[in-house]
Amino acid sequence: MTAKDWHEQVDALLARASRLQHGEARVMALEEAARLADTHGDLDLAFEVRDGLIDAATFGGFPDKALVAFAWCRAQAKKHPTRFEADLLLWKQKWVVGRLDDFPHITRKQIQDALDDIEQTYARVDAGKRAILKLRYQTARDMGEEAAAEAYWTQWVAAPRDHLTDCRACDLDDEIDHHIDRGEYAKALRKARPILEGRSGCAEIPHLTYGSVLYPLVKLGRLEEARDCHLRGYPMIRRNRDFLAAVGEHVEFLALTGNLSRGLVLFEKHLGWALDHASWRDRFTFHAAAGFLLSRLVAEGRGTVSLRLPKAFPLHQEQGSYEMRELHGWVETQAREIAARFDARNGTDHFQKLLERTRGLEKDVQPFLIDTESREQ
Amino acid sequence: MDHRFQINLRGVIDLLSHHLYSSPGVYVRELLQNATDALRARQLLEPAHEGTVRVELIEKQDGGPPTLLFSDDGVGLTEEELHRFLATIGESSKREALAERRNDFIGQFGIGLLSCFMVCDELLVVTRSVKGEGQTMEWRGRHDGTYSVRPSEHPLERPGTQVFLLARADAAEFFTAERVHQLALHYGGLLPFPILLTAEGRTERINTEGAPWRRKYESISERRAALLAYGREVFGSDFLDCIPLESTAGQVEGVAFVLPFSPHYNAKQKHRVYLKNMLLSESAENLLPDWAFFVKCVVNANELRPTASRESFYENETLAKAREALGQALRRYLMELARDEPRALQRLISLHGLSVKALALDDDDFYQLVIGWLPFETSLGTMTLVDYRRAHATVRYVSSLDDFRQVARVAAAQGLCVVNAAYTYDTELIEKLPRLFPQAKVEPFSAAELPQSFEELTLDERESVFPLVKLAELALQPFRCDVAVKKFRPKEVPTLYSEESGGAFRREVERAREESDELYASVMDSVLSSARGDDRPVLTFNFLNPVVRRLAGVTDRALMKLSVEMLYVQALLLGHRPLNAKEMALLNQGLLGLIAARLEGGGEDSGPGGMH
Repeated sequence: MTAKDWHEQVDALLARASRLQHGEARVMALEEAARLADTHGDLDLAFEVRDGLIDAATFGGFPDKALVAFAWCRAQAKKHPTRFEADLLLWKQKWVVGRLDDFPHITRKQIQDALDDIEQTYARVDAGKRAILKLRYQTARDMGEEAAAEAYWTQWVAAPRDHLTDCRACDLDDEIDHHIDRGEYAKALRKARPILEGRSGCAEIPHLTYGSVLYPLVKLGRLEEARDCHLRGYPMIRRNRDFLAAVGEHVEFLALTGNLSRGLVLFEKHLGWALDHASWRDRFTFHAAAGFLLSRLVAEGRGTVSLRLPKAFPLHQEQGSYEMRELHGWVETQAREIAARFDARNGTDHFQKLLERTRGLEKDVQPFLIDTESREQ
Repeated sequence: MDHRFQINLRGVIDLLSHHLYSSPGVYVRELLQNATDALRARQLLEPAHEGTVRVELIEKQDGGPPTLLFSDDGVGLTEEELHRFLATIGESSKREALAERRNDFIGQFGIGLLSCFMVCDELLVVTRSVKGEGQTMEWRGRHDGTYSVRPSEHPLERPGTQVFLLARADAAEFFTAERVHQLALHYGGLLPFPILLTAEGRTERINTEGAPWRRKYESISERRAALLAYGREVFGSDFLDCIPLESTAGQVEGVAFVLPFSPHYNAKQKHRVYLKNMLLSESAENLLPDWAFFVKCVVNANELRPTASRESFYENETLAKAREALGQALRRYLMELARDEPRALQRLISLHGLSVKALALDDDDFYQLVIGWLPFETSLGTMTLVDYRRAHATVRYVSSLDDFRQVARVAAAQGLCVVNAAYTYDTELIEKLPRLFPQAKVEPFSAAELPQSFEELTLDERESVFPLVKLAELALQPFRCDVAVKKFRPKEVPTLYSEESGGAFRREVERAREESDELYASVMDSVLSSARGDDRPVLTFNFLNPVVRRLAGVTDRALMKLSVEMLYVQALLLGHRPLNAKEMALLNQGLLGLIAARLEGGGEDSGPGGMH
């Protein structure tokens, strides 16, 4: 292969990636470009491509690939400090470190060390503490360290903004999550207004917010608003596996409101993502919600159900007929096993509690059918 | 009597100009909106009333800033209504309140007038209502917040409203005949009643024919040509085709233009939308379903709710239904193309394949109709799934670029057809095939499976390569790579390195680990511990390749090992597998070793196992 050949190939791959929306195809095109650059020893190009790959993988639902591409770039920037601008990576380091706890095989110590490391890195460029405090708050929250989470929360919201803090929409969305955690639903919804009304947003907001407010709206009996949030929010997330956990929230909403058939359509469409998603936390959210949905169907006395599930599904049936109980059992086991792995790593019972919350959802069920024909019956 | 608003008027104007409106030019839109509302209100009382809006630019004799007179023969305001609108302005200090107020006639009137203060310091409104005793009232307001209301000394002969704007010196650019004409046409081009502009002693009608999709045409082709010309005028592009749009929900109608180029994903299509025939926005994004990024539209909606800035539509159920209906209109167009004009469909697919694929994925009927026209890249060239199935019973596909590159060349030489389904939607489209066509078989294919389709050696051949296999296995042990020997084409390829899909990622993690500091090296170790693809890769030697055959007969074991290692490195590089540190060392030492071996042989041609 001549030198010109492979440069042209890389250009074509990069051009294709830029035309694609976030997702697997875009990640693959950039990985291929990075391999070409590596194979031909073009370090500058390899760095540039991987820098883009971190973004594509982060926003396309491949946090493991983002992590590895980041580790490589970070190593190169350390090795060649004058050649690569380490500053480019500062912002992305936040994405990567913030998701380390999504992987149960990453140890607690590794997570803490990575947090200390980013804190030192940010201190060296004279950044304020706000971004780090949020990372520490979210990590503690995800891992179920409640006292630490509470302490970091207070410090985070009080810290001044600077050039390395998240955008206002993201910060606001994370504040909303905090209020939902505490059961302050009305307050959460009040804060969500600017986002839901389209006055504040970014690449992932309001996509995520529509999912988070579903449960609070149901709890407060604001079912029509909840339905609108579902109908508006789901189309924004349905094509990007980065939103697997949000899909789980929509599944939970559909089960809560008795829209079981709609819920199954989502389960059928997105189970494939959950089977090999790199974020085990997102897998957990999806499986827990799906478990609740399937338990509602079992309770309704459904014996079998016809579904088009992916070939990679361990219970895959060519004819597409599935035993309801068996399916439910499998999904529940997934959620339970993932929860056990996380709790063992974290040394808390946070995921156990999340499972219990899902089991208790039955008391929140409020039938509210979306499909007009069914409503008229 | 002079009054002062209870609020800081400057603050409100500031809010309007900096947060609500994109340009001071919108004052023309607001005045047209007020006139339109007034005319509609009058038509409710007198259905036969036709209505006209007159715009007159009055130049000052002394060359000072001109005055713009905007008048309508609409419903007019009574004294009581005039006071009500003043109260409205007092309540308009919040953005949300502004949006609410717009929903009623009086509220809109007041807010609309306020926008004029972006371009003038003083405003005179003279109005006579169709209701009451026909008294003419006048309101004079200044940007500093003072105003007066009194019966006019120059009563109007007929009901209607006149608004006089005295241009502010720094806003004179918005008061030239050319600019006013352009702005009025821009915002009011579709309005169903005449807008007359008088300037420099001449009067002309600005808006001539209403919306082009509502006009009557002699023939279908004339209509098409007229609409395409309109599209060119609005967007400056020569579009491929135009598609009529209609939705009962929201009362939307208009036309969609098919883009003559493949759109960039990030560039969301910006549509031009009118609300009740008044231009609302040139950059509305939320009008069509997300798959429909192959068109740009111009539409008028009568019953969609605008956002506070009046620059796009508010997301509600009506908009969702309208979006669905507009999507259906586009789908119908594509269905008709598939049935009646397959060539045109193919041309469209070549530019907008992604849009078509996205729709096919969600819509079974559409899928059945277009799947025969969608091109897929395969190891034997581009073809449709229909062509594919004519020649091969089972559709085999790989879902990653890496896999495809690993198999493409060899598979092609073997006559094996494998689809590259690494492109967006392709894997899902292929997996959908047997659901809609039950007799179709599809099967994922992995690069690791490729050697299984190769021809095996005979017993004697096996014996002859056994020493090579034993040695290669030992030599490649440190690289976690297995060894096989088969016969495959093309015979120029000495070896094939194949691995599962996860293999490339594993190698990537290993290389990141090698480069990283202690912290991230340990994190990479954890990633490796759970990464897929821990089946060992295989290096398959090609018995049809002359070099491999000669190598099998070499007696110098050191040379044989060196050659195996070099073939391994070469296979990695050919497969775009970047080398790790150990492999890089192998390459460097190996080259030297080969040179040394060659030199030791004294350059004789018949040296043991000489490499070619």
